[in-house]
Amino acid sequence: MATDLTERVQEIAKERDVPESKILEQALERGVEDLWIDLVLSRYINDEINREAAIGLIGRDRVKRAERELQAVEDDIQWGLDA
Amino acid sequence: MIVAVADTGPIIHLDEIDALDLLSVVDELIVPKTVYEELKVGTVPSALTHIEYDVVESEVDEGVPIDLDPGETAALAVAAERSAVLLSDDLAARDAGESLGVEVHGSIGVIVLAHTRGEVEKSVAIEQMKALQTETTLFITEAIVEQGITLLDEVE
Repeated sequence: MATDLTERVQEIAKERDVPESKILEQALERGVEDLWIDLVLSRYINDEINREAAIGLIGRDRVKRAERELQAVEDDIQWGLDA
Repeated sequence: MIVAVADTGPIIHLDEIDALDLLSVVDELIVPKTVYEELKVGTVPSALTHIEYDVVESEVDEGVPIDLDPGETAALAVAAERSAVLLSDDLAARDAGESLGVEVHGSIGVIVLAHTRGEVEKSVAIEQMKALQTETTLFITEAIVEQGITLLDEVE
């Protein structure tokens, strides 16, 4: 995994003609953004924040997507239990 | 009796967690030829040889949405024609299925069904659900999987 990451960072840096440190900085920003979105959605799904607050923090599209995913997972579980 | 038509998604995602055999939990499994051809573009999972299924041709009529990919379209058409369950992890395919009155479920449903039918322990099913999120190409929000695990864990 570490080798994969190193090679990918090198390849992206070469392709974009920027230092590897810049790629790592961008990767960190994206990673933290993803983790933040996960945290907000977790709080929303667990009723720790309301829908409007979640939308304000991460946007309507992400919240709607998560709601659709949740409905699908709930349907799947009910089907699996009832079948 | 559950007759199910598989799209590529659950075949690939369950194989990625070494759980493709769970597909045999349905009573009759159908794989449209278009789906099989899509699998061949990558690699047909070797575990598929251990499962009993029928490969069928599909005829897509005008009622099936064409904005899905060919495998999803074919699987949906076969499921509609045979009043079968469509197995797909794609939300668009799920929406399309609902619009045609086709019941659609995904990899998580298959795992829970396997647990209900005594094929896997609940703890194994929970680990497989986590693995779907962390170890496969399936895009699903971590918090959603956790919520699903909570729902399953509350049963019994």
